[in-house]
Amino acid sequence: MNSYKIMNKNSFIKTILVLLGVSLSLHALAHHVLGRPSYSLGEDSNTPPSMQVETQIGDYYVTYMAFPAFPKANEPGRVNLYASRIDNGQSFTGKVTFSVMDDSWFSSKIETIGSQMSDDSVFRQGFIISEDGNYIIRAEFESGGEPYIIDFPLRIGEPLPIGPLGVSVAIIFLILISVNVIQRRRLQRMKTGRHHAETE
Amino acid sequence: MNWQVHLNKLRWLVLSLVMLMLVLIPFLHLYQSYEAAHAYDLLKPGERLIYDSMEFISGPFISDPENDLDGLKGTTWSGTLFGLALSDPLALLGQISASLSLHWSFLLTALIPILLTLLAGRFFCGWICPATFIYELNDNLGTWLRRAGLPISRRKLDRRIKYVVLLMGVLIGMFTGAVMFAAIYPPAILGREIYYAIAVGGFGSGMVFFILTLLFDLLVARRGFCRSICPGGALYSLLGRFRLLRIQRKVETCNDCTKCNAVCQFDLDPWHDDFGQECNNCSACIAVCPTDALVFEMKYKDQPFQGAGHLGQDYKKQQGDIKPASGED
Repeated sequence: MNSYKIMNKNSFIKTILVLLGVSLSLHALAHHVLGRPSYSLGEDSNTPPSMQVETQIGDYYVTYMAFPAFPKANEPGRVNLYASRIDNGQSFTGKVTFSVMDDSWFSSKIETIGSQMSDDSVFRQGFIISEDGNYIIRAEFESGGEPYIIDFPLRIGEPLPIGPLGVSVAIIFLILISVNVIQRRRLQRMKTGRHHAETE
Repeated sequence: MNWQVHLNKLRWLVLSLVMLMLVLIPFLHLYQSYEAAHAYDLLKPGERLIYDSMEFISGPFISDPENDLDGLKGTTWSGTLFGLALSDPLALLGQISASLSLHWSFLLTALIPILLTLLAGRFFCGWICPATFIYELNDNLGTWLRRAGLPISRRKLDRRIKYVVLLMGVLIGMFTGAVMFAAIYPPAILGREIYYAIAVGGFGSGMVFFILTLLFDLLVARRGFCRSICPGGALYSLLGRFRLLRIQRKVETCNDCTKCNAVCQFDLDPWHDDFGQECNNCSACIAVCPTDALVFEMKYKDQPFQGAGHLGQDYKKQQGDIKPASGED
């Protein structure tokens, strides 16, 4: 596994160097290659490890990237948003407002973290979140008189692996499986007997 | 021995595989994300375990996980199965009602399920639906709890309620522009919640709704949600009204034991040849029949009631084969 990873990483660095060389000799029209995030030294770089989500809403394809891929509490991170029209591929150039909320049951608090204008078709929003947990980053914009509201997941640090609802689901599933496996022969007889009793 | 008696086992295998896929796909997607981000060195031990195990599972079948795993995505609501895009017809109806337009590419993804429904009726409910897997286990739990003395209600709700729910969902979609079905349709909820629980971490309100449907089935009406409320069940029932493949009773070999009625979770009446558009061809009645009197046949409508089974006591009495015991009139 390790040798494979090292080889993979080396070949990747070579690829980056080749691409850099090629890009220096050409007029670059775009900074980003979607879906191919990579390593870098700082979170301000265009290409640190990222977590990417793609979705379609209304007239737009929307791509959301969270940097770094696994952000931690009290460490700066950033989300990038790209929105392009489905019909002609034209990028959205208006204003996008980003807000954050706790992805929990009883939390209704939404905090706006900023409004961003397009920078080379990219909307970049930095954030620092002080507590581990599951959050929702909400991106809002307006186009053609229609409001667009998109919620994206953002995990900070290592939240609890399983919550009370998860425990409940696990218990219910365990009971269902146990009863059905242990009582499977008796259940058939019970059903038939009960049916006969009800119809007589 | 009729080979069709084994179909119910096959059905359980299919249901189990669908459930397994719903659990496996988010893990594969996580693996794909880690791979795309070249993040192996950054992963925590648990995440590395996911990476390594998914690499082990998918390794023999794919060479480029970052791209090849795009061929296996989504849920039974809408997804890609080995490169083939498939959608639930209810998702298509929801999209049409919400957008008041038809996307032909989306229609194509629902075409295979629609054709299969026209052929085999409500088979999705019995053979594919991941919620059915849980609901049937839950129904057995209800039988067991009832035996244990707990007051389990067997109320019978009107099956036509679900058609009203379907119509309401279409109308609400038309007026709000939102696909409301996805919020109350158990297979869509289950697929989404399993995905979120594994890939994002944690269940949402959909899982609470699903648990409430389990309690509803347990405490109010046996399989009540599927039979009387599910909008998907309503759509499949309508599409499958004139299905070609249907279970029929062979009166010559029926002995009137009524085990078929006892096991039918949709509370149909196979004993009286009453299957109707609600039958999901689950084949549980075929499996339980001791005389192989129930079989799949190609017919576009049910046969009318054929009378008592020829191996049963009533028929023999009618034919004079059995003389009344002394003292009987």
